[in-house]
Amino acid sequence: MRSLFSFLAFLSAAVVSALSTSGNRLLVVLEDVAEKENYSKFLGDLEGRGFELSFENPKSESLALFHLGERTYDHIIFFPTKAKGLGPNLTPNILVDFMNAKGNVLVTLSSGVATPNSLVSLLSELDIQLPADRTGLVVDHFNYDASTAAETHDVLLLPPPGPVRPDVKNFFGAGAGKDEVLAFPRGVGAALGSSELLTPVLRAPRTAYSYNPKEQAEVVDDLFGAGEQLALVSAFQARNSARFTLVGSAEMLQDKWFDAEASKVGGKKAAKTFNREFAKRVSGWTFNEIGVLRVNWIEHHLDEAVAVNESNPSIYRIKNDVKYTISLSEYAWTSWAPLTLPADDVLQLEFSMLSPFHRLPLHLDAAHSSATESAYSTSFKLPDQHGIFNFKVNYKRPFLSNIEEKNTVSVRHMAHDEWPRSFVISGAWPWIAGIGVTVAGWLAFCALWMYSAPVGGKRVESKKTQ
Amino acid sequence: MSADPLQALANAGQGKSTRSLLRVIILALIAAAAIASRLFSVIRFESIIHEFDPWFNFRATKYLVANGFYNFWDWFDDRTWHPLGRVTGGTLYPGLMVTSGVIYHALRALTIPVDIRNICVLLAPAFSGLTAIAAYLLTNEMTPSSSAGLLAALFMGIAPGYISRSVAGSYDNEAIAIFLLVFTFYLWIKALKQGSMLWGALCALFYGYMVASWGGYAFITCLLPLHAFVLICMGRYSTRLYVAYTTWYALGTLASMQIPFVGFLPVKTSEHMPALGIFGFLQLLAFLDYVRSAIPSRQFQTFLWLFAGGTFGVGLLGLVIATSAGIIAPWGGRFYSLWDTNYAKIHIPIIASVSEHQPTAWPAFFFDLNMLIWLFPVGVYLCFQELADEHVFIVVYALFGSYFAGVMVRLMLTLTPVVCVAAAIAVSTILDTYLSTKSPKPEESQAAEGSEGKKAGKSGLKAASKPVVGIYGLWGKSMMVSALAVYLLLFVLHCTWVTSNAYSSPSVVLASRLPDGSQHIIDDYREAYQWLRQNTREDAKIMSWWDYGYQIGGMADRPTLVDNNTWNNTHIATVGKAMSSSEEVSYPIMRQHEVDYVLVVFGGLLGYSGDDINKFLWMVRIAEGIWPDEVSERSFFTPRGEYRVDGEATETMKNSLMYKMSYYNYNNLFPPGQAVDRMRNARLPEVGPTLSTLEEAFTSENWIIRIYKVKDLDNIGRDHAAAAAFDRGTKKKKAIKKRGPRSLRVD
Repeated sequence: MRSLFSFLAFLSAAVVSALSTSGNRLLVVLEDVAEKENYSKFLGDLEGRGFELSFENPKSESLALFHLGERTYDHIIFFPTKAKGLGPNLTPNILVDFMNAKGNVLVTLSSGVATPNSLVSLLSELDIQLPADRTGLVVDHFNYDASTAAETHDVLLLPPPGPVRPDVKNFFGAGAGKDEVLAFPRGVGAALGSSELLTPVLRAPRTAYSYNPKEQAEVVDDLFGAGEQLALVSAFQARNSARFTLVGSAEMLQDKWFDAEASKVGGKKAAKTFNREFAKRVSGWTFNEIGVLRVNWIEHHLDEAVAVNESNPSIYRIKNDVKYTISLSEYAWTSWAPLTLPADDVLQLEFSMLSPFHRLPLHLDAAHSSATESAYSTSFKLPDQHGIFNFKVNYKRPFLSNIEEKNTVSVRHMAHDEWPRSFVISGAWPWIAGIGVTVAGWLAFCALWMYSAPVGGKRVESKKTQ
Repeated sequence: MSADPLQALANAGQGKSTRSLLRVIILALIAAAAIASRLFSVIRFESIIHEFDPWFNFRATKYLVANGFYNFWDWFDDRTWHPLGRVTGGTLYPGLMVTSGVIYHALRALTIPVDIRNICVLLAPAFSGLTAIAAYLLTNEMTPSSSAGLLAALFMGIAPGYISRSVAGSYDNEAIAIFLLVFTFYLWIKALKQGSMLWGALCALFYGYMVASWGGYAFITCLLPLHAFVLICMGRYSTRLYVAYTTWYALGTLASMQIPFVGFLPVKTSEHMPALGIFGFLQLLAFLDYVRSAIPSRQFQTFLWLFAGGTFGVGLLGLVIATSAGIIAPWGGRFYSLWDTNYAKIHIPIIASVSEHQPTAWPAFFFDLNMLIWLFPVGVYLCFQELADEHVFIVVYALFGSYFAGVMVRLMLTLTPVVCVAAAIAVSTILDTYLSTKSPKPEESQAAEGSEGKKAGKSGLKAASKPVVGIYGLWGKSMMVSALAVYLLLFVLHCTWVTSNAYSSPSVVLASRLPDGSQHIIDDYREAYQWLRQNTREDAKIMSWWDYGYQIGGMADRPTLVDNNTWNNTHIATVGKAMSSSEEVSYPIMRQHEVDYVLVVFGGLLGYSGDDINKFLWMVRIAEGIWPDEVSERSFFTPRGEYRVDGEATETMKNSLMYKMSYYNYNNLFPPGQAVDRMRNARLPEVGPTLSTLEEAFTSENWIIRIYKVKDLDNIGRDHAAAAAFDRGTKKKKAIKKRGPRSLRVD
């Protein structure tokens, strides 16, 4: 009951303060305050969603991400800055600490401006590589905007992204109109390492490549990356579910590309850009407005007819029947909703000691689900092995916050009085009968011995005769 | 010196009741002395549980007292052997804990509230008083002279060989087991002498108590059949033996099978087979005895041969078949190591790594038994002189006990009682001979000579055939007596000195002397365990070498991976592997076992010899036994075959987790380049080891205990070495860019 109250309190608090699940203090790092006019729609959208924006120059003395060991901001957006470094308050170590403290970061790049060293180091820690000399330009001679980049071919027009894998929900491109395109003007492509925490959101088309317009204007001899190996927008989610997004083109967030018209080369008519909705979704994902999972409660108990059925006991016995239930919610923009799994995905429960003894699918438990949560449960028989076991739910999917729940229980051996009694076991009957016969025989012998008359001196005599 | 006061003194002790009163008083004083000499550690330090195993017994006792007997019986301990757990209730000898629990509840019922810790601390001294009385009773069965019994009680009370395991705080199974051992032997002799079923049943009862208390009960299980067998071979089969033995065996075996840890072992393992074999053999003998009285002797002769041969053949065949089919377990490793002292070293490093399983060095005999060791053969010789059934027992016990005491240091304990008894017989014989003030009159001695001469003619030894003529001179008597008195005094001095210096250290607390002679207490162990207790989560798993498992469980109350109950060699080898491998190999092992903290003992700063670097080779050996491909003892030695920790240590050594944890940050204590390991007298390299998967959490005052916290996986997915380099700011940026062709991402 107490947990229900606190849950309600938490829910109401969340509704009042912000629509992000992890706070609304947003730091916008800009070199020049005048620049923010270019992003007024994007920033206005953020403010409209409940974020409190603070604008700071990276070199500002007053800028501090931590105060007395606590984060002073919940989220950061970096817009391109011309400075080579970002000053002593935004070193890569501080940024890593910020992410370790569950802060979210959105970094935007631009091909016109060299990326600051600090961000390059941070990106390389996250296993994201930028082109050498900290700048590059992605061009595509087949998918460019004919109206603004007829010569340079550096404004890419792309279809909104599809799902990364068939079993993953499409957060960023879903619901886009058929004729809507995503404009990616003058951006930087990044190459992603094989870290499992990284997921590309938007990849370059097969015909795109990246080059350095200053040094490689004539001939591209050393290609940094081409085709789908270039990630234009990539998402990174740390183990603690802190999120980091790299948007290759800051310009795509500018007002001029929001609700604009673009004409694809070879296309018949002008297409509407999807940028505004895409920017909303990318920022919303980064700042924990979508794709956030929450474990409401976990409950396990004996699935047997017993007098007192304690909830979440710390100890079971081998071969007990046990039921495990986990309740999950997913946050979508404004409210918590039940987590619904994609068709070909299952939530699994592991019962493990050193290695899993059981790995079982969890099924939707309608009885415990509601409008804001969905419960998944399974029943099983504990293994015939005593030890310290974990109920483990390890659900990690791209773009969903990590769920790694571990509930430790001890599984004890049979107590001396929990075995079936000997008379219940049919195999023991001959032995029990044997005991009976021995006892009866002994008594009979004693009776015979006591009540039979002594033989007398016969034996002594016979001995004498021998 | 006139004869009158002496006479008066002798007359005072003449009355029967006066004598028994004196005996009781002397026995009580001896028991008090036995208890008092074991209290050094309490006076010097405090009322504290000692060493390693006692900490487990103490913890188990607390559990028993808190949760009651049935919960204790079914105790599943999830705070040791993580994550396997230990079925503790079924894998311990409950006698000690139950004894303390009973005393605790009895005292509470008498409204004497005593802390369970004090009961545990003082249990061993209290039982040593009882042991002294048991030794008195046992010796009284051997010789009519009651002074021998009193001497035996005195020896038993203060012999260092027994004190070593029974000082206050040494709350181990042996604390009560030696009393039970001696008392069971006393009851056995009693039963054998009287052929009494009652005494046999009592013997079985105490045997059952002994089984419940100590694994060393196998000593009784083997010794009593051996005694019976020797008696049979000497042609001394009698119904007394039959009654005593069969009563003891039948009831004792049933009693022993009630202990869950023992269970069906008495009918399944080879160690218990002699007892069963003798039991069967006695039935045969009884049967033959009956047959012999029933049929003529000629027929009996052939019958006997056929029958005996047939039975022996069938029995042997049955044993071989049962052993090969696995019904009877073959001899265990510990058993083999009793015959071949090198067996364990080669095959079972985990047994050999325990110092008390090492063969005994010869000075230890003198150290632990002092003059008793040379009086012991005299006593055995005197037993040969008489050679009644009970003397045969002393002879058999002496042989058996001496052998095993020579094989294992620990078994000195089982030898001590027989040494005390035999030495007491020897001393009392000498005293009886020399202390009587009466000079034998010539005619008496003539008569004695005649009778003695006849008797001596029978015994084979030439020296024994000399008739006893008696000692006439008072001078010679007093010389002999005073010499013996000096020896006895020296013995007391020696015992007190050994007890005070060698056996009264709790080993949890180390004592040293400051230059001015005052005592300095080094309390690093308790400091570290207290740190763990106060600064870590209740379920934080601590990985350490198994020696410290019980102490961590008892003092810090934290779960451990392995402890002194070394039941799972693989699990210990896993810890050994984690300690002896590089960080990259160890980290996954520690993650898999959910280790939160790693504890190492380091003696380099203080010159403390019992540290983990000195035990390290055992870890390597045990790990190598399970993973010969991954851990190799050879790679820890330099090409010249030296075990070094300084700059010339091998790479494997320098990269091993144990080395890194021991010497991490150690060179910061010294001026650059002058770090010295005082234990091994080695100058350490200027640059100390770096750790990336662990971080230092605690180091005790004298650096004896060092505790490291295992880092979680890196939050942003780097490996720990890279993350640590990034944190230190020493990461090479160029190296990342030019790493050859980039591997393409596939997904």
